[in-house]
Amino acid sequence: MSPVVTVTDLTKRYRGVTALDRVSFSLTENRIYGLLGRNGAGKTTLMQILTAQNFATSGEVTVFGEQPYENERVLSRTSFIKESQTYPSMGVHHVLRAASLVHPGWDDEFAQQLTDDFRLPLRRNVRKLSRGMLSSLGIIIGLASRAPLTFFDEPYLGLDAVARQIFYDRLLADYTEHPRTVVLSTHLIDEVSELIEHVLLIDAGRLLLDAEAETLRGQVLTVSGPTAAVDEFTRTGAELHRTRLGGTARATVRGDFGPADHDRARTLGLMLEASSLQDTVVRLTTARTGSAPAGAEATSKEKFR
Amino acid sequence: MNRVLTVARLQFVAWPLVFGWPWGILALSFLVNLALFGSIGDVDPAPVTGGLSSIYIVMLVACVTTITQDFPFIIGLGVSRRSFYLGNLLQFGAQAVAYAAVLYLLAVVEEATGGWGIELTFFGLPLLLVDNPVLRYLAFAIPFLLLGLLGIAIALVFKRWGVNGMLTLSAAAIVGFGGLGVLATWRGWWPAIGGWFADQSGGALLVGYPALLAVPLAAVSYLIIRRAAP
Repeated sequence: MSPVVTVTDLTKRYRGVTALDRVSFSLTENRIYGLLGRNGAGKTTLMQILTAQNFATSGEVTVFGEQPYENERVLSRTSFIKESQTYPSMGVHHVLRAASLVHPGWDDEFAQQLTDDFRLPLRRNVRKLSRGMLSSLGIIIGLASRAPLTFFDEPYLGLDAVARQIFYDRLLADYTEHPRTVVLSTHLIDEVSELIEHVLLIDAGRLLLDAEAETLRGQVLTVSGPTAAVDEFTRTGAELHRTRLGGTARATVRGDFGPADHDRARTLGLMLEASSLQDTVVRLTTARTGSAPAGAEATSKEKFR
Repeated sequence: MNRVLTVARLQFVAWPLVFGWPWGILALSFLVNLALFGSIGDVDPAPVTGGLSSIYIVMLVACVTTITQDFPFIIGLGVSRRSFYLGNLLQFGAQAVAYAAVLYLLAVVEEATGGWGIELTFFGLPLLLVDNPVLRYLAFAIPFLLLGLLGIAIALVFKRWGVNGMLTLSAAAIVGFGGLGVLATWRGWWPAIGGWFADQSGGALLVGYPALLAVPLAAVSYLIIRRAAP
């Protein structure tokens, strides 16, 4: 399967700030990617460059095998929904009509149904929408455009839990019926962990992780028990994080763990559990920068291979 | 080309606003003038209002907002800068062509009705161009294009270089025009300049020179928008 997006050594520098630092990865067709990272990690810049809204300092980007810049063949197949999107002063129905003209795969009926789901007032001027309504408008455009490559950049700002769940449900249902490549950038990692098939984690402009969500699930474990036993077990992997309480310790470890390791943990008298995606992301990010907040009752120690 | 047409169509989706503003304000200006000079009664010389300029100013403002508002929106939807720019020029050009035709007709009606019965010149152009109908039509149309492209170019400088860009542009304009003014005063060129303008025909001032200025403006705007971030 040919990749939809290929990024090679992509670097973006603003005055004195390196937003992206030699990032390389590729996206394959018809998958849901989670683009994760802290605020200012470079996620938005990356998506802006992929959609030719921003310019790379160096490096190569191809989308559908071509350069995206000023390329209608690429741009007409992409949809980029961002939190900071602004709209001209016009009605919601005008915005939807405009979006339907630009996207060849637009489904009017679906847009109508989503508008009802999100209870978006069609006749209201976009300038008068609340933050949450503005987010739903973006989500409706992103879903109804059915673009083969769709980016959602933190699309949920101001959305209540019910509306967010509607978004996840509709996204999954429509994705199943009309497969496409979706890149979901979000801070609410636990909410989307079931949705994401592949994880890209960036921090301070660097790609920290490019892994299948399923593989990752077995790779990062939290092990707890007597300190000596934990020490013994963590030797087989890379320790990302540790908290200590009296004679016991709780450590997050990354490694290629198999059934044998689970048996070993049991014989050592250790509790072993898979880390959630959110924990994994937090631990991987802080293990690199060493900036994890230390709890009052626990001391933290991080190291990274 | 297809996408250019899409952009042009897209900018008309909110058409009541697109047409409503320029014509609404022009109508208001006209009615106020009509009421004013109608109530004053006989005025000598017959009144010539500047009210027609309102529609040109509204269109200039509309062009500024296409860059500040429509540009981030339409590029955000997934259109190339080239298609946006050409589509925008197309929709604006179409408006200029149509609006100029309506204004021309209104000017003809104005003449036929003896200035709406009160010898009011509202739609008639300040410079005499009645002799040539083509030139007279263009004198309505070309200023739309010049002002529109000026609005687009200035808004693009802001969009691409921000407040610093605007300040640099203003400083350059002040130094440039101010310097020329000083030079003209110092060398005693003002009478010659005045005489040169007086020698130009209305056609040259309303059609020829604006058209000559509009072309490089359009080219410069295209170069600026190519590297502008929405």
